[in-house]
Amino acid sequence: MGQEEDLELYRSRLLESLNSRSSRFPQGVSDPIQVYVNERRVGELEGAGIGAMLQVQCVEHIDTVQLRTEEGVLLGGLAAPEHGFRTDRLRISTDAIELCVHNRAQGGTLSALFIPAPSFWGRAWKSIAEIGDRLVAHRPDTAPAYGMRMVAFTQVLLAIAVVGLVADRVPTWMPPERMPSPVVQTASLPASPPTETARLEQQLTEVARIQAKIGEALASQQNGIVQLHQAMAKLSSNQESMASGVVTVKEEVKEELEKRLEAIGRDADRATRHIASKGRVEQEQLEATIHTLTADNDRLSKEVAGLEEHNQTLKAKLQTTVVSTSKAVDPGPERLLKMADSIQATQQAPFLFWVTFSEGTSQESIDQWVNGMKGHKGVLNEGWQEVRIVPPPVPPDRFLEQIRGDKIIKAARINQ
Amino acid sequence: MPVTRMQSTGSKSQTMSDRTATVSRLEEVVSTPDEFDQVVLQALPILLDRATASTKRFLRETGQWNDDIEHEKFALRWGSEYLERFLICGRTEVPCRPLFLFDSLVAKQHSKPEPFCYHPDLLRPLGRFLDGLAARAVISRDALIALFHHAYGWGPGEVIAVTGLNGVESQRIYKNFRRWRESGWQRTMDEMGLTKTELAELGNQQQRHRQRFNSEAERLIRVAQAHYRKSEPDHYPCLSRSQWGEMFTQGYGCDYRIWHLALCLDCMQTAWGLGSSGSNVGEKPRLELQVRP
Ligand SMILES: [Zn+2]
Ligand SMILES: [Zn+2]
Repeated sequence: MGQEEDLELYRSRLLESLNSRSSRFPQGVSDPIQVYVNERRVGELEGAGIGAMLQVQCVEHIDTVQLRTEEGVLLGGLAAPEHGFRTDRLRISTDAIELCVHNRAQGGTLSALFIPAPSFWGRAWKSIAEIGDRLVAHRPDTAPAYGMRMVAFTQVLLAIAVVGLVADRVPTWMPPERMPSPVVQTASLPASPPTETARLEQQLTEVARIQAKIGEALASQQNGIVQLHQAMAKLSSNQESMASGVVTVKEEVKEELEKRLEAIGRDADRATRHIASKGRVEQEQLEATIHTLTADNDRLSKEVAGLEEHNQTLKAKLQTTVVSTSKAVDPGPERLLKMADSIQATQQAPFLFWVTFSEGTSQESIDQWVNGMKGHKGVLNEGWQEVRIVPPPVPPDRFLEQIRGDKIIKAARINQ
Repeated sequence: MPVTRMQSTGSKSQTMSDRTATVSRLEEVVSTPDEFDQVVLQALPILLDRATASTKRFLRETGQWNDDIEHEKFALRWGSEYLERFLICGRTEVPCRPLFLFDSLVAKQHSKPEPFCYHPDLLRPLGRFLDGLAARAVISRDALIALFHHAYGWGPGEVIAVTGLNGVESQRIYKNFRRWRESGWQRTMDEMGLTKTELAELGNQQQRHRQRFNSEAERLIRVAQAHYRKSEPDHYPCLSRSQWGEMFTQGYGCDYRIWHLALCLDCMQTAWGLGSSGSNVGEKPRLELQVRP
């Protein structure tokens, strides 16, 4: 019968297309990349855009993330762990996309960041100020009125912080001394004599360099933690039939891990405070800290490997271990981000307010005004500009009164 | 070489012991993404058959199976769909045992409320054609835009006018059309297992019994659209005319308009004339199925 042949032909055609997947990869990406979470489309990443980033917060847990071209070609993706983090870097010719998923009890978050080929970077840092607008422009359409279950959003400050951290974690194609520093680019310097400015700039560069190192160290800690999450998840998954007879997990291993994670946390905190409080930092001391962190991480990884080996015996009790360890682990990336924030603003929680400008105010003077407050522009919504600054020394109402006095300000308010 | 083995098309030429060896390799732990790729790419036929068998079992257990080539094709299609996702996502799950990971991925798919769009009428050529278009539209913007063409016979200019797009978005529409004509359509037909004969037959039916053909197509496309709309961003729901109107006049919801209108015949009627086609508000659009891109 022709039917059987027909079926066999269909099967081999499907196999062929699965097998040739990789050769269908585009040479570079110029069109937006479609981002799917749990097989539902959540937005897109501007392929050719500099520092394009998509942040998605889901009410549900994130199971899978997929990236596709407009043709539908599956470029990459990841399967998220039930709890905790997973990051993956996907290369598309010379560009790359960094994915980071975090699942928590209350849902999941995804950030996807497009990292263009090195040649783009020169331009990238010059236009970092524009990123805000661009991100706003690329924000996926959301219609809050219609009871959505998934909210996609982008945040300028966060984006800049992440761009900075990611850039610092990509040392392969750029020697560190040439690495553009996000701090220098985004922090605004007060008007001061040229020499003073130069000195400040130098200091900031130094801080940025150290920040890069800490970022790296923390990232590798993060890696260790991710591995740990993975190992735990693997072990507890039902991939193999349960060995009969309950075997006890060695409590001391668990405790040791928790202790170490706590220590990592303390060290990171210390480092952060250190940077935040002083403009200039004693490098040796920090480097020593970083060395300890790295060594710790190595030991951690070895222990994780050891755990892997003994997975048969450890399985029974790991479910509980997963829960408690993840709890200990959780604040990791938040801390990373906070650190970036604190370096930029020497303050942890930015103060947020909205303003409109008087008619005919030029973009330049708006930027000047924002810079004058050492602020960052957020989204622009129906004429209202979001601004983030270091919390002012006066109460919010007083502060608003003060800025309403500024010539270029038409109106100001706290809530959107 | 896995490739040669595959090109000699599969199970028959592959000896039993070969197969056993590959399977047991799949049961072992792989610890790096590269190792994952290597092991899995050598085992594509085995994995495809495994996912297909599992899909068949699922269909049987849920009373959706019939012993015919249409159902076989349906199971194969979804088997290969799962396998593609596994190739991409599995490598981020190392260390793992690929075979078990794959089984759990397939099981997870089948534990979803409606893992795929099953309807006996969608298994026949016309249904398969429409199911294929809508399924593809979910994962490919080219296919999504092409839906406007296949449903109403519109070209890029009309799509832009009807959905009320601006300059930048318009350029993308032309690109979408071009790529769909060049390769997207053919690839979709191949992936749905629609043969040249079947496509020619569809063309014949369309010419000889236009009205019957279109009303049957409308019935089936509604089934498919209702299913695939669930993968729209944020679950875009249907809107009233005034809600659509607000969106058009205020210029937001570009994606909403494109996605939902492509996948909803009713809303297309509701929102008709709100785009810049406002001036030539003729009759409301009716389904006028196009087989060719
Ligand atoms: Zn967690
Ligand atoms: Zn609708």
